[in-house]
This record gives sequence, C-alpha cells and structure tokens, in this order.
Amino acid sequence: MTRQAVESIEDVVKNIIVAELRVDRERLAPSTHLMKDLGADSLDALNIALRLEEAFKIKIPDEAIPRFLTIENIVQGVNEHLASN
Amino acid sequence: MRRIVITGIGIITPLGVGRESVWAGLAGGRSGISHIDCFDTSNLKTTVAGLCRDFTPEQFFDEREMSRLDRVSQLALAATEMARREAKLSDDELNSYDFGVIMGTGFGGQNSVEEFVGAYYSNGKGRRSAIVIPKSMYNAASSNIAIRYKTRGPNITISTACSSGANAIGNAFHLIRYGHAERMIAGGAEAPVTPLVMDAWKDMRVLSTKNEPAERACKPFSANRDGFVLSEGAGVVVLETLESALERGAHIYAEILGYGSTSDAAHITFPDPEGEAQAINRALKDARIGPEEVDHINAHGTATKLNDASETEAIKRVFGSRAYEIPINSIKSMIGHSMGAAGAIEFIAAVLAIEKKLVPPTINYEEADPQCDLDYVTEGPRRMDRGRPIRTAISNSFGFGGNNAVLVAREYSEQ
Repeated sequence: MTRQAVESIEDVVKNIIVAELRVDRERLAPSTHLMKDLGADSLDALNIALRLEEAFKIKIPDEAIPRFLTIENIVQGVNEHLASN
Repeated sequence: MRRIVITGIGIITPLGVGRESVWAGLAGGRSGISHIDCFDTSNLKTTVAGLCRDFTPEQFFDEREMSRLDRVSQLALAATEMARREAKLSDDELNSYDFGVIMGTGFGGQNSVEEFVGAYYSNGKGRRSAIVIPKSMYNAASSNIAIRYKTRGPNITISTACSSGANAIGNAFHLIRYGHAERMIAGGAEAPVTPLVMDAWKDMRVLSTKNEPAERACKPFSANRDGFVLSEGAGVVVLETLESALERGAHIYAEILGYGSTSDAAHITFPDPEGEAQAINRALKDARIGPEEVDHINAHGTATKLNDASETEAIKRVFGSRAYEIPINSIKSMIGHSMGAAGAIEFIAAVLAIEKKLVPPTINYEEADPQCDLDYVTEGPRRMDRGRPIRTAISNSFGFGGNNAVLVAREYSEQ
C-alpha cells in the first residue's frame, strides 16, 4: 500500500463523516471519536458503515462496527478489509 | 366534569406558516393551490397540489436534525414549536408524565419510504440508509415531539386516513377529561405530495384534474366539482384543563366541548351519511349540547362527488330544517386536502372562526348542485358578530375506511 493510497482512504473516510454528521472537516483528527467527540449515535455509525461499504466495495460485518469509531480505526479497518478481499 | 381549553395553536398550510398568516389567507378567500414543481408530473392527470412553500425547515432545524426527520416530522415539530410558544409552556411544564402527545397522520414518512424504494429497485446503485425505519414509521412525528420537549405522558399516533387529525385531538381531549393527562399536544401532520402517492391517487380517479388555473381546481359542493386536491401541512393544538390555563394565565382560544367518532362499517371508500350523522350526534351528546346550539360547521368538504353529497345528507339528518340556516364552509377549497393533518387544521380554523367571529368562504363555487343545497358561504368571508354571533362550531372529518370524527368547540366563557 503506497502512502498516496493511505491518504486517499483517509480523505474518503473524512468526506463520508463530514457528509453524514455535518461537521467541519477541521474537527477530524486521527483520534477523533464519532460518538464521544462528534455526537454521533448508533444510527449514524450504521449509516457511515453503509457509505464505507459503498465507497470501498467492502462488507463490514456487524461485529466490526463497534471498532469503526475513530478516524484511525476506520482507516485501519478499511485497509484490512481491502487487503483481505 | 373537567373543562378542557385550547391555549396554543401551531399551523402550517399552503397559505402560510403560523396562525396569523394562515388566517389572513383563509379570511381573505385566497387559494394556496399551485402547480407541482418538485417532481416530474408529465405522466399525471393532476398536476396541482397544496405545497407549503413558505415553510423553511432551516428556520426550525439544523442540517443534522433535518437529515433525521422526514418532512412529515419536520412539519409536525415546527407546528408544535409554534403552539408551545403561543401557549407559553416552559421546558419544566413540558417535561412531565402528565403531558402527552397524540398525532394523526395518514401516510407517515412517505418521502423516506419512496427514497428507500428507489434505492431498493436500483440494483445497488441507490443510496441505502440505516434510518429509513425511524424516519418513516407512522409514530415518528409524535415520538420526535415527545423526545424534543420531554413530554413523558401518553404518546400515541392515530392513523384513520382523512380523520386522523380530528381523532387525535378528540382522544387527547378525552385523555385529559378523564384524568389520564393534564396537558396534551395534539394534531395532525402530512407530507403526501410525492410521485408515488400522486400516481396512486390518479388510478383511483378521485383527484381533481382541473389543473388550469390551479387556484380554482378544488370546488367543494359545486355541481362541476371533480375531486379533491392533495396537500401537505400540519395543525397542532395545546390542550389543557381550564384550571391549568387560568393558573398559568394562558390565552384561551376556545373550549373543546365534545368529540364523536363512528365507523360506517360499510365500504372502504364509499361514504355512508348515516355513519357521518351519528358521529355528529355523538359529538353533540359528548358536548352536552343540542343541534340548535351549533352556529357553524367546518365541513369535511373534499370536493369529491360522493363526499359532498353524503356530508350534506348527514348534516340534514342531524339538523333537520335548521341545516339550511347554518353557515357551512370547506377550507379545502383554499388549502386542499392534507389527509391526516386536515382534521386538525380544520378544527383550528373553526376555533379561529369562533374567536374572530368570521367564517372563511368556500371558494370556487360555480354551479348549484341539487344534492348540495345548504349554505356553504360561497359569496366570500362572512362576518358573524351580530344577530346570531358564532359561539359554537363543529368540525367534520370523514376518512377512507369509513372513519368519522367530529369535534365541537365553543367560545370560552366563565360559567
């Protein structure tokens, strides 16, 4: 995985979060937590998972969703799913 | 017996947002009907509807909130906010197990359903969503009201088609009267002007196809009427005991005196004047008044051939020869038929008619129909402040399914 690709995954993840939660992009740091920092609830998390599945053509299993809650965890999770596909 | 009064009004119709602008439109005999421009109507026979063009959800919600609320919930919440401001209810007063909500809706979150249906049939191309169910479920509007205002008492949604809003207010009234709640938010909301709903109504052939000019499409009680005009909107009232209203020093718009509800138990769409007449009778009995005390009838008056003739017959059965002396109007001539919201909006119109001593007209009346020969106030708004001033009014709502609901309101007086 090149540096370029990692950055673009992070960009896509941030775009999705900005669009779903209507938050300013500047608020998104690697450790930013969707629920604790951005006020998301479980329904938001599900919608973000749907958008990630569409954007990266991956399937996120139910049990993985609780790990998809910080920017860095989401990027890492997407990478893992892409690698395993 | 506890007395229940109306202390807050929130209303959104194609004539405007809020009590004052809606009343100005009704009292001025203006039409809010216009050509649909939010989706393609080229396959429809009816291209007009009542759209709430002055309603800007951004005034009430931020973007995030809007994404979670179907238009029907947005209308319901905005109307509730206006009603609670008028009633001057504090957060502490709302946050109570004695404060409940009953809302009526016929279609629920139809816009959200249609978005999802589109995604479902798009072979994976459409945008899926995890919040379609919480946005589209019928009780979304009433639940969102309770969540926002922390009303912790009964929270109920009523879906009886065109009488939903009236049944909601009637049941809320009874909940207070019989001690199950002290205060209630009650009304109806509907956002049914969508491509699928318009298309489905087309096949039932009950919508007016008199598209030009749009403002003249809906012609209740006129011989050349050809169907109703679909519309969106919301009407919400705050109901509370007289004692509570006096204690808070709240403005009292009127007293709600009675509620009657019946089922035709006949046909799913064909109206039965007997079921309708009995709903009026039961409402009068509930109000402990006789038919001679009714000064004004806000009719269901959809402008379908069947409804207007059947309703006229029902009124004659209840009021006998006095039927000809009672000013009857259909405000659907101006704002169309907002289904589950209509009963609430029309009850509010009847309450305002009592307060303003003025009956808004039935507009677009053009040809006499021998089956509809009562006084439908077709000449323009009618002042009723002298002679026999308007004190008591009823509002009729008759829904598909044979669900009839009638509400009685009276000018507030101390004894």
